[in-house]
Amino acid sequence: MERRTFLTTALVGTAALALGVNLYAPEHIKVNKALDSEHRLLFSVLLPVFLDDALPEVEKLRIAAQNRTLDAITQTISLLPADGQAELEQLLDMLENRLGLLVLTGSMTPLMMRNPDQLIAMLEYWRNSFLDMMVTAYQGLRELVLASYYSCPEHWNRLNYAKPTFLEV
Amino acid sequence: MAIPDPIVEGLASGWKHIDASQLSQDQTLEADVVIVGSGAGGGVAAEILTDAGLTVIIVEGGPLKSSESFNMEERRAYPNLYHQAAAMKTKDKAIGIFQGRAVGGSTTVNWTTSIRTPKPTLDFWAKDKSVQGLSREELDPWFDKMEKRLNISKWEYEPNRNNQALKLGCENLGWHYTVIKRNVKGCWNTGYCGMGCPVNAKQSMLVTTIPAALDKGATLVSRAKVIELEHHNDKILAVKAQALNEQMQPTEVKLVFKAKHYIIAAGAIHTPTILLRSNLADPHELLGKRTFLHPTLLSGAIFSDPINGHSGAPQSIYSDEFVWKHGAASGELGYKLEVPPVHPVLIASKTIGYGKTHAALMEQFNQLQVTIALIRDGYHEQSQGGQVQLTDTGFAIDYPLNETFWRSVRRAFGSMAELQFAAGAKRVLPITEGAPYLNSWKEAKSAIETLDLGPLKTVVASAHVMGGCPMGEDTKLSMVDSQGNSHYYENLSVMDGSVFPTSLGANPQLTIYGMTARNATLLAERLKSSS
Repeated sequence: MERRTFLTTALVGTAALALGVNLYAPEHIKVNKALDSEHRLLFSVLLPVFLDDALPEVEKLRIAAQNRTLDAITQTISLLPADGQAELEQLLDMLENRLGLLVLTGSMTPLMMRNPDQLIAMLEYWRNSFLDMMVTAYQGLRELVLASYYSCPEHWNRLNYAKPTFLEV
Repeated sequence: MAIPDPIVEGLASGWKHIDASQLSQDQTLEADVVIVGSGAGGGVAAEILTDAGLTVIIVEGGPLKSSESFNMEERRAYPNLYHQAAAMKTKDKAIGIFQGRAVGGSTTVNWTTSIRTPKPTLDFWAKDKSVQGLSREELDPWFDKMEKRLNISKWEYEPNRNNQALKLGCENLGWHYTVIKRNVKGCWNTGYCGMGCPVNAKQSMLVTTIPAALDKGATLVSRAKVIELEHHNDKILAVKAQALNEQMQPTEVKLVFKAKHYIIAAGAIHTPTILLRSNLADPHELLGKRTFLHPTLLSGAIFSDPINGHSGAPQSIYSDEFVWKHGAASGELGYKLEVPPVHPVLIASKTIGYGKTHAALMEQFNQLQVTIALIRDGYHEQSQGGQVQLTDTGFAIDYPLNETFWRSVRRAFGSMAELQFAAGAKRVLPITEGAPYLNSWKEAKSAIETLDLGPLKTVVASAHVMGGCPMGEDTKLSMVDSQGNSHYYENLSVMDGSVFPTSLGANPQLTIYGMTARNATLLAERLKSSS
């Protein structure tokens, strides 16, 4: 995805999310769903937190890496079994509507409106929760994002790792 | 460099292979024997039965992939070759499970470690689980045979640095260690066994027994998910399967397989699942129970020098120092020490945290040594394994982790840290929530004593699924006899790791090869004499 497209999607999504469309929008307005069926906006908010210090510092490279990771996440989700997809979908939907956010995070503030420290606080709240549901939400998202990011050979520079090249000779 | 691909060549030579994803009409196929699954059990059985002159159909749920598609990238290997893209988990999500799903089963993706069944395991089965005729003396000729067939021999090269650390730590502490035997021929020592061997050096079922069976006329059906066995009285009448498309989703096409004899070798998750779904006789409700995983803990260690755990034979040293220390069934649970290959997705997902701390760990990727402890489950009265259960959409694995288990985990973290420091580690990181980097064995010892261990806090993984359809002579304890034949159906056998009455305390492939070689040979003789 071109950066421009990404930003456009993000902006439209921002408005939709801030309104909490899932909860408040009339049935015939499906702005959010139509534009963001893969939850790219939601993940674009979470990626910088999960991947802090892993993403490249140069903005252009950083955005490319984020978009590559968003694509990889979509791909990874498509490979999950039906049960896993359904569970994840439920979690992502909750994070995209205000009531769900209230249940999961104790606040109705859309994720897009939260600063990095608030997002970290949210992840830490889940991570250390006494409720298994919260912990598995954290771990599910964590594994999905990190596995998707490190599945891309373009992101291996910082590891000083590359796969052998003997097959390409 | 172009590597010869025996699968591509075999298909061109006229092998009978049906990729069910390409079918548009229902099919019915018949043979002397239908084998469900093409892993360690199914592969060996297919070759032996075909050699005996019987007609064989091998039905595999996964796809037929071969070296031309093995590109040494996890993002391709996991979805192509593993169940649930290597993201399978137990019901409570506390244990991640790696299991192969492709022609060759888990042998296509395992790390080649080949260990004969430990004697204490076989003794326990004979004494407590009514297993007969499976002493080491009786099995050794079959291990000899399969070691020769699959080129299993001691790894004569220098271990990679990851394994060397295990060896050095054991040497410095006076602990037991062994050089591993591997099923490889002309190994390039690259370290990518877990993503499908790109040079066909690994002597998996994919490049040995399955091609041999196909050369002799066997039929392979891939991407066909077995749904159930049709049965009446004490006979199995047919195997019913559903075709899967290239995305592994069911299509409308149904397949029916009919045979004189049926072998289920779908692995310790799917064999019980298929048998449960078929509503087969199970008067003592044993099916799917006592599922064992060798639940495995990880300990990371940072070394000053490069470890490069991605490079070189993934496993070449193991230590049995703690496996049988307290006896087979008494005292604390034993654990085996090994190392895993270190690859980006595997390590990124099987570690703790995110953001800055995770990125800092990943930046030390090449200095990272990882030791694993595989807990030997199924012997102690407080270690009764888990359960494969049917669900509306498939199956779930319920595996409770109790206090006895966590006590062993704490000891295992201690042993791994002690070993890693003895090998020269600068810092050790037990992979569990809240564990800090530990700077010395002394510091580690006291810190590990107070770690807050538990499900969803401690990373637990498994690559060895066993049990769920146990063998033995006592029908209260077993579904099949000691030769893998059903107690209840005259033309049904099970030949895979599901027949183990406990876990092994060793990596399972060679046990499955040896036992299946014996059981399939006996079956072939029986089928030949009755025809």
